[in-house]
Amino acid sequence: MKKLFLFLLIFTLITLKTFAQQDTTVAKVAEKLEEVKDALEGLNESYLETKGIVDALKKIKISGYIQAQYQSADIDGAASFAGGNFSAGMHQRFGVRRGRVKFNYDNDLTQYVLQIDVTEKGFATKDAYVQFREPWMKTFDLWAGVFNRPFGFEIEYSSSSRESPERSRLFQSLFPGERDLGFKLEVRPQDGPLSLFNLKAGVFAGNGVNAETDNNKDFIGRLGFSFPFTEENLAIDGGISAYVGNVSVPAGKSLVTVNSPTLATSDLTVRDAERSYIGGDLQLYYDLPVLGGFSLRGEYISGKQPGTSSGNGSYTAAPAGDVYLRNFTGYYLMYVQNVGDFNQFLLKYDSYDPNTDVAGDQIGQVAAAKLGVGDIKYTTLGLGWIYHWDSNIKFVFYYDMVSNETSKNLAGFTENLKDNVFTFRIQYKF
Amino acid sequence: MKKLFLIMITAMIAFGFFMPGKVITVKGSDTMVILAQRWAEKYMAEHPGITVQVTGGGSGTGIAALINGTTDICNSSRPMKPSEREKLKIRYASLGVEIKSAKDGLSVYLNDANTIHELSIEQIKNIYTGKTTNWKDVGGKDSKIIVYGRENSSGTYVYFKDNVLGGEDYTSSMQSLPGTAAVVNAVAKDKNAIGFGGAAYAKGIKFAGVKKDANSKAYLPTAENVKSGDYPISRFLYMYTKSRPTGELKDYIDWILSAEGQAVVTQVGYFPVK
Repeated sequence: MKKLFLFLLIFTLITLKTFAQQDTTVAKVAEKLEEVKDALEGLNESYLETKGIVDALKKIKISGYIQAQYQSADIDGAASFAGGNFSAGMHQRFGVRRGRVKFNYDNDLTQYVLQIDVTEKGFATKDAYVQFREPWMKTFDLWAGVFNRPFGFEIEYSSSSRESPERSRLFQSLFPGERDLGFKLEVRPQDGPLSLFNLKAGVFAGNGVNAETDNNKDFIGRLGFSFPFTEENLAIDGGISAYVGNVSVPAGKSLVTVNSPTLATSDLTVRDAERSYIGGDLQLYYDLPVLGGFSLRGEYISGKQPGTSSGNGSYTAAPAGDVYLRNFTGYYLMYVQNVGDFNQFLLKYDSYDPNTDVAGDQIGQVAAAKLGVGDIKYTTLGLGWIYHWDSNIKFVFYYDMVSNETSKNLAGFTENLKDNVFTFRIQYKF
Repeated sequence: MKKLFLIMITAMIAFGFFMPGKVITVKGSDTMVILAQRWAEKYMAEHPGITVQVTGGGSGTGIAALINGTTDICNSSRPMKPSEREKLKIRYASLGVEIKSAKDGLSVYLNDANTIHELSIEQIKNIYTGKTTNWKDVGGKDSKIIVYGRENSSGTYVYFKDNVLGGEDYTSSMQSLPGTAAVVNAVAKDKNAIGFGGAAYAKGIKFAGVKKDANSKAYLPTAENVKSGDYPISRFLYMYTKSRPTGELKDYIDWILSAEGQAVVTQVGYFPVK
């Protein structure tokens, strides 16, 4: 009996100890679980914090491209719109045509955009603007700062995407640098039939990216449409544009209207020279079976352009002398054919007649007409081939054949100038 | 100089046109990746000379690859946006070719232990926009709702946002996961979780019946309900090519749309378009 009692006592003690140990183990496991839970919660908090940082960083977008090129002109010192005049004594050159970096902070409804251009020629600001979209209909955007003028198609078509190395002479003359300083309203309906249309209209300084020089403000606007026919893989886009502005005539200087082959009219009393353009643009895109898609684009502009006695380009600073007013017209047509995924062939023809009231030998014939180099018409036929190496790199081969109006009465323009230019360009875009 | 121009053009054309041939590459929607792999496996077995390479990454990634020229076919669980078509237009003068390859009922996943069995579109919207944060507010237990979703490169993310959330933003507490399979796994492990994705991935969890509104009948994402249109969140699954497909690419797409290709759609768990 004693043995049994002793046995039961020992058994009970061992069992109790085991239970006690088990309790301790369970407690330890529970404690460990709690620790793991805490650690997981900590990790989750850390993840959410990191996610917040990553989400914020994702709003910063950096893009850019570099265009390095070799060019060869017919003669030394050729005047050119294919990236600027060749220096005296040179007909070949290497250069970085554009070296762009664009910083964009995209906060969905608001945007900060800064684009700079860095080349061997120096540093320049291209874009510096804020963009604000109203949150209710998400249809109206307000832009403020320096950005592309809302006129036509070619101005806003990025140089990194454009097939021809340069914009048409027409646009380079009327809108040097493409950009201007001002405010713009964009209307882009999101749904319904109105989403096929868009309106851009703004008020600008009128001096390009340079500082304001007068109180005159210029209106620029474009009403555009975009009709996609997805079943047919056809798209027809286009628009009409208007520019209504003025250039201040300096005190003591005249507005000289050069619209006659015999006599220019000068007016010392006029203080504002009319700068007005109207234009239309059309783009057609169609996917050709087997070959690939093609685009056919055209643009036409006419109007009144203030300039100098020897130049018809827009002012980028306050005029210093007499302001010459000319009626002009210009257009371009461009055909781009994709062949497979990598090749594009293009044909471009552009024309710019800076003075439609005179032609040929009339220029320089009568001194009183005050006609000269700034009244010469140019046409350019461009042929090119683009090879897309990958999504970043493309090679461009392009040949500009430039023809100018001739006048036996204007020295230097009695015959067609030797100013054709071959361009080989490599572009890297990211 | 004209000679130089002609010589360089000729040389580069020769180089450009005599690049070695390539396989058919398919990239895009994670929702469609298993379906695309099954199509590729079966097609390659029947056509030994053809290689079809399939990768996921999300519809947005696939469309970007199509625009960049790094894929022949883009799989997308949402229609291409006008801005994406615009990019294709600029680069290829084409709006892209859209091919509806299958239909999917976008499912709402719940953990098996969840007492909730059905939700209205409004309730789902409130959960995913953060207005509803506790299961008791939709008839369940008093527990915080753990919200899982997809990353913003996903077509499912975009489709759900546009068609269920009415364009509103997702709640900031939503945990974005890389792939529908990851969402399913997360919901399977968490009794308070909710997720969404394609029906084909739904293993180890249950589907919520979805009601158009509070007074409507709830429907599960079954073949009948998706085909009949009763299930409120159904969508097409698309393939896109840059331009009209030709040659081997056309043969492959034609096969996918054939009875044989559409049979694969059913096997994987989606719904055929023909």
